Amino acid sequence: MKFRSRGARWVALLVALSAVAVVAGITATASPAKKQASYVIGVSNTLVGNGWREEMICSVKAQALASGKVTSVKVANRNGGPAEQNADLRNLISAGANAIVVNPSSPSALNAVIAQAASRGVKVVSVDQRVTAPEAYNATNDQVAYGQLGATWLFKQLKGKGNVVEMRGIAGVPADTDRHTGFQQALKKYPGIKVVKQTFTGWQFATGGKQILDILNSGVKVDGVWTSGIDYTIVNAFRTAHKKLVPIVGADNNQFLKQLMTVKGLRGVAVTNPATIGGVGTAMAIKLLDKQSVPKWVKLKPQVWDNATAAGKKAIKANYSPSRPPTYSARLQVKPWTTYTSKQLFSCKGP
Amino acid sequence: MSTAAAGVAARVRPNPARLARRHGWTVGVYVLLLVLLLYWQTIPANWGSFDVQSLAIDALPLAFAAMAQSVVIISGGIDLSVGSLISLINVLSAKYMIDMSFRNALLFGLLLLVGSAAAGAFTGTLIVLSRVPDIVVTLAMLFVWAGLALEILQIPGGGAPQSYLQLGTGHWWSPWIPSGLMILLLAFAIFWLPLRWARPGLALYSVGSNRNAAYLSGVGVARTRIFAYALGGLFAGLAGLALSATSGIGDPNAGQYYTLNSVAAAVLGGVALVGGVGGLIGPIAAAFVVTLVKTILILKGVDQNWAQVIQGTLIIVVVMIGGLAIRQRART
Repeated sequence: MKFRSRGARWVALLVALSAVAVVAGITATASPAKKQASYVIGVSNTLVGNGWREEMICSVKAQALASGKVTSVKVANRNGGPAEQNADLRNLISAGANAIVVNPSSPSALNAVIAQAASRGVKVVSVDQRVTAPEAYNATNDQVAYGQLGATWLFKQLKGKGNVVEMRGIAGVPADTDRHTGFQQALKKYPGIKVVKQTFTGWQFATGGKQILDILNSGVKVDGVWTSGIDYTIVNAFRTAHKKLVPIVGADNNQFLKQLMTVKGLRGVAVTNPATIGGVGTAMAIKLLDKQSVPKWVKLKPQVWDNATAAGKKAIKANYSPSRPPTYSARLQVKPWTTYTSKQLFSCKGP
Repeated sequence: MSTAAAGVAARVRPNPARLARRHGWTVGVYVLLLVLLLYWQTIPANWGSFDVQSLAIDALPLAFAAMAQSVVIISGGIDLSVGSLISLINVLSAKYMIDMSFRNALLFGLLLLVGSAAAGAFTGTLIVLSRVPDIVVTLAMLFVWAGLALEILQIPGGGAPQSYLQLGTGHWWSPWIPSGLMILLLAFAIFWLPLRWARPGLALYSVGSNRNAAYLSGVGVARTRIFAYALGGLFAGLAGLALSATSGIGDPNAGQYYTLNSVAAAVLGGVALVGGVGGLIGPIAAAFVVTLVKTILILKGVDQNWAQVIQGTLIIVVVMIGGLAIRQRART
C-alpha cells in the first residue's frame, strides 16, 4: 500500500518502530548475565496454569539460587506437545543453557534433540516423568509405588472387603499408567475389594469433585476412594452430599493436609508426589556440571502420611503451610537433594 | 486492494505507485522479519547454523498452516478446521509410517496429501451445498477431524523413518540451508505459483473480493470455493506431515495451536479477512515473525506469557495500520 498522507506515513513508521520496541523493551528487562559466575539452567515445561507445575519451576529457581553456582534460569513455559517442546529445547540450547531441566511431554519424542544437546555438552535432566534418551538423567517419583502404597493402605483400612472408587488422572500419561499398575498390584492381593467405578479426573480438582458427587448421588455404595491426587474436592463433595465420610487416599496437597487435620471423621492418607522434584533435577544438573557423578535415574519413594498414626500426624502438621494455596504440593523439601529455604521456594525468584 | 482484472493490467503495464500499493504490506512484513532476524542473531553467544535450523524447524508447520488458512480467506471463507485436520494427518502419518521404508513413507505422505485435499474439498462442498456460513461448517469439521484424530491415536505415539525426519530437521548442501525451508519454498513454487496467475488463482481472488461480480463475469463460484478449501486442505496436509517430520511423533492434540495462529499469521501477512486481498508470501513471513518473537523472548529469558501478549499487540497494531492506510487512500 502507498501512504498518500504524511499522517499515515507517520503512523506506519511509528508502528514499525513500536513493534520492534515492544520486543526489545520487554527483553531488555531481563538482567544481563554476569560473566564471572558459572552456570545457566534452562527449564522446559508444556503445561501452563497448573499449580503443581508452577511450583516445580519455582523449585528449580530456588535450588539454582541456593546453590550459588547459577547465574540465570531461563524458562520456556507454554502449553504444547512434543513439537513445541522440541523447539523450546533447541531455543534453550541456543540461549546458552549449560543444563536443562525438562518435564517431558513424551517419553521418546524428545530423544533426537536431547542427543543434540548432549553433543553440545548440555546436560539434560528429565523430572517428574521419564525420557528414554540414553544421554538424559531422570528424577521421578516412583509412580507405581505411589499407586500401590495408597491402594494397599485403603484396602487394609477396609479390611479387604468393600466397594472402592478409583479416580485416575489423564489417560495415557505415563504417571497415570504407572499409578494404575501399582493400584492393580495392590488390588490383586485383596480379592474382596471391588472397584465399582473408575473415572479420569484429568487432574482437575473441579472435575474430580463433580464426578464423585455424581457417583454418590447415583446411589452406588462407596466404602473408600482412591485418588490420583485430586483429593480435597472429594472430601468437600462428601460433605455437600451429606454422606458419611469414607477413607480417602489423596496426595500432599495443602488443602487436603488441612482437612486431614481438621475434618471430623475423616480417615485418610496423603501420598507424596513432590512438585519440588524440579529442585532435585536442578541439584542433579549442578552436580553433573561440577563433574560429580549422580545416579542415572533418581526414583523417589513416596511417603505415606496417615492421619491416625503419630508419625503421619507429625508429617502432616510439619508440611502444612497456611499461607499457601489449596493445591500447593506440600512437601517442600526432598533431602538430600534440595538445599533451599522455604522462603526461597515461595518467593519463586531465580538468581 | 484491486481485483484480478486490475492485477492482470498491472502486470501488463508496470506502474511503480500501484506496485508499491499492492505489495507494501508484504514488503513491510519482510522488513519486520529482517529487523527481527538481525536482532535475533546478536543474542546467542554462538549463533550459527544450529539456530537457523531451530527457527526453520519451529516455523515450518505454522508456515504451511498459514498458507492453508490464507488460501481459504482469500477466497472469501475462513477455515477453523485447519488445526484439527493437521492433527489428523499428523497422527495418520506417525501411526503408519513408523515401520515403513523411506520410499513407502514418501508415497504414503503423497497419499495423505491427496486425502487431505479431498477432506478440504469435502468441507468446501458441504459449505456450498448447505449454504451454511463457512465459520459454522468449519467449526463443525473441527470437531469431526479432532475426534477422528483421537480415534486413530489416543495418546502421542508413532513415529517415522529416520530419513523422513531428516526432511524436516536436516539440511541440504550446507548446514546453513535447512531442508524444511527448502521444502517450504518448493511447495510454494509447485502448488501456488503456477495457480496464482492462472485461471484458478484469479478466480479465487475474484470470488473472494466480490462473489456476485465474479458470478456475472462467468466464474464458477461454487467450483472455485470448493477448490479453495481443497487447496487449503492440501496445505494443511503438508503442515501435518511437516509436524510429523519435525517432532518425530503423532500427537492428536498437536494441531490445536494452529487453528487460530494460522489466522493470526494470515492477517499479519496481509491477507484481509474480507477476502480477495493478499497472497501467500506475506503469511509465510508472518509465520516466521511469530516464531521469532517467541524465540527471542526465550533467548532473553523472558516469561513466555509475554510472547502471546506481544503477538496479539503486533496483530492489532499491524491491522490498524492497514486499515488507516486504506482509509487515507479512500479520502484522497
